[in-house]
Amino acid sequence: MKILIAEDEKALQSSIQTYLDRDGNVCEVASDFYEAQQKIALYDYDIIVLDVNLDTGSGLEILRIIKKEQKKVGVVIISANSSLEDKLEGLDLGADDYITKPFHLAELNSRIKAVLRRGKFGGSDTIEFHEIRVNTSSRTVYVEDKAITLTRKEYDLLLFFISNQGRVLSKGIIAEHLWGDNSDLLDNFDFIYVHINNLRKKLKGAGARYIKTAYGSGYKFIAE
Amino acid sequence: MSSALLLLTAAALFIYTKNLLDNAIEEELYSQVAFIEQNIEQGKAPKTIQPILSIKQITDIRPTQVRDTMIYDPRQDEVELFRELSKSTKTVNGVYEIKVRVLVVESEDIFMGIAISFLSILAIAFLILFFINKSRNEKLWYPFFSSLNKLKNFSFDTKEPIVFELSKIQEFNDLNNGLNELVTKIRSDYNNLKQFTEDVSHEAQTPLAIIQAKIENIINENDISDKQYEELSSIQEDIKRLTQLNQRLILLAKIDNDQFANPKAINLNQFISGRVKDFQGISKNTFQIEVTEDAHVKMDPYLAEVLFNNLLGNAIKYSQPESEIHIKANTLMFRVSNIGATLIDNPEKIFERFYKEGATKKATGLGLSIVNKICKYYSFTPSYRFLESEQLHSFQIDFNE
Repeated sequence: MKILIAEDEKALQSSIQTYLDRDGNVCEVASDFYEAQQKIALYDYDIIVLDVNLDTGSGLEILRIIKKEQKKVGVVIISANSSLEDKLEGLDLGADDYITKPFHLAELNSRIKAVLRRGKFGGSDTIEFHEIRVNTSSRTVYVEDKAITLTRKEYDLLLFFISNQGRVLSKGIIAEHLWGDNSDLLDNFDFIYVHINNLRKKLKGAGARYIKTAYGSGYKFIAE
Repeated sequence: MSSALLLLTAAALFIYTKNLLDNAIEEELYSQVAFIEQNIEQGKAPKTIQPILSIKQITDIRPTQVRDTMIYDPRQDEVELFRELSKSTKTVNGVYEIKVRVLVVESEDIFMGIAISFLSILAIAFLILFFINKSRNEKLWYPFFSSLNKLKNFSFDTKEPIVFELSKIQEFNDLNNGLNELVTKIRSDYNNLKQFTEDVSHEAQTPLAIIQAKIENIINENDISDKQYEELSSIQEDIKRLTQLNQRLILLAKIDNDQFANPKAINLNQFISGRVKDFQGISKNTFQIEVTEDAHVKMDPYLAEVLFNNLLGNAIKYSQPESEIHIKANTLMFRVSNIGATLIDNPEKIFERFYKEGATKKATGLGLSIVNKICKYYSFTPSYRFLESEQLHSFQIDFNE
């Protein structure tokens, strides 16, 4: 996938690039409004990660240009402003998702993949990981072509794992992905153990081994 | 000063009056004696009348003298002061001594009279002056008190500037102008400060995002030890706390800046069951919900979410594991109660910004102050109660409908 990261903070820009590069994506960067404007005019991207506050102009203006020119590109907005109006404005203008700083790269990655999967931008609604196949439009999961039934949280967890395969996911990151702001009400991570253990059981033999413990308290979804 | 003058006048008046009376009495005595002398010469010597007149024959002429004497008056049963004039007069019938006496008004009485009249004058003058002054002062100071009243009612929550009344008195106008400048300055400083809080919090989000992203990359790109992973995870936890703190400060600033001006009627029944469903996934508490079907409250949906999330989250966080949380709501109020063993040390401070009970939970100390802020914004009344017998902590919000 070809991704443009329009973010004026170089440190954040390169961190996002590092993370996304690992999945074999081609990432390009734009550090200000004009560079972003130029790049979207010259090249086609599958996804643009767009900061609202670019140095020399508004990211929302870039979004307007994209929509005006009817470019087929998914847009994930990143913003330092968590207010609802900002979020709604971004989504009204046609952004596909909106994420507030600070965010976990794993979360950003899973949002980008979700946008891609919605199909409009060259993605597919089927994800495969060895013998596991997930159809994201019907929300069904197959192991060796046999459908298994997952709860909503288990399904979200599996998708999050596959999206961020090969990366270490701390319990905190997983909790935030599954429960959002409510996750800080968790006294401990027992709820996560329960969901992960259930998911392991349902994925059966080989599948169960994909969910590995990393560094004692994190998880990593990876084939041998 | 004036009282000294008053005393002096009273003393002078006393001496003058006493002198006047003394002179009058002496004159009277002399004239009576003259009459009696005349009568004696004509051979009609009057009889002695005690105590005011006594006539007796003596052998030699004594000098004329006036003196004070005390004589017992049986009718009044007291000793009275008399002035007495004794004079010897030589007639053809021999030498007579005439003693004439007049009851003297006692100095005491004069003094009392003067004192009473003075005091009455004083009292009347004081009363009249008091009322005249009062009504005049009221008029004179009206602009001052009007300004004072406006200052007392001043609040940062209202956006209207204070309009002081124009007065005919230059000094009050100067005062009002000074106050106006002060209020304008304070208000603009206050607004700057509010904006500053919001700006700082916003600005902090980007560096936090960078730290967060770098930590994730360090974990994924390097071979690190378990110990290093623990350290990095702990940094991530603190970033999360800082993020929450920031978001809450921004929210408080936004409420202060009046950025939630689209209230909608919210059906509490649907709303609360939705919230509870969310919480059931992460809490082992049981929820007993008692919300009337038509219960509703008019407020911004986002603020409603924050308000009820904070209260319910608070109840979950501080409840005993797997205990029951009771939620009751109708159009007039909302109440959430949870069982918690620990007594709150300072219940009166519980809604204050950055107040934390104990150090056991990693709290920002802003959750309940946000609740308080939202309540204030909508003129709701939040309250906290602890029922010791059941160890029941209750937070209640009266919607004041």
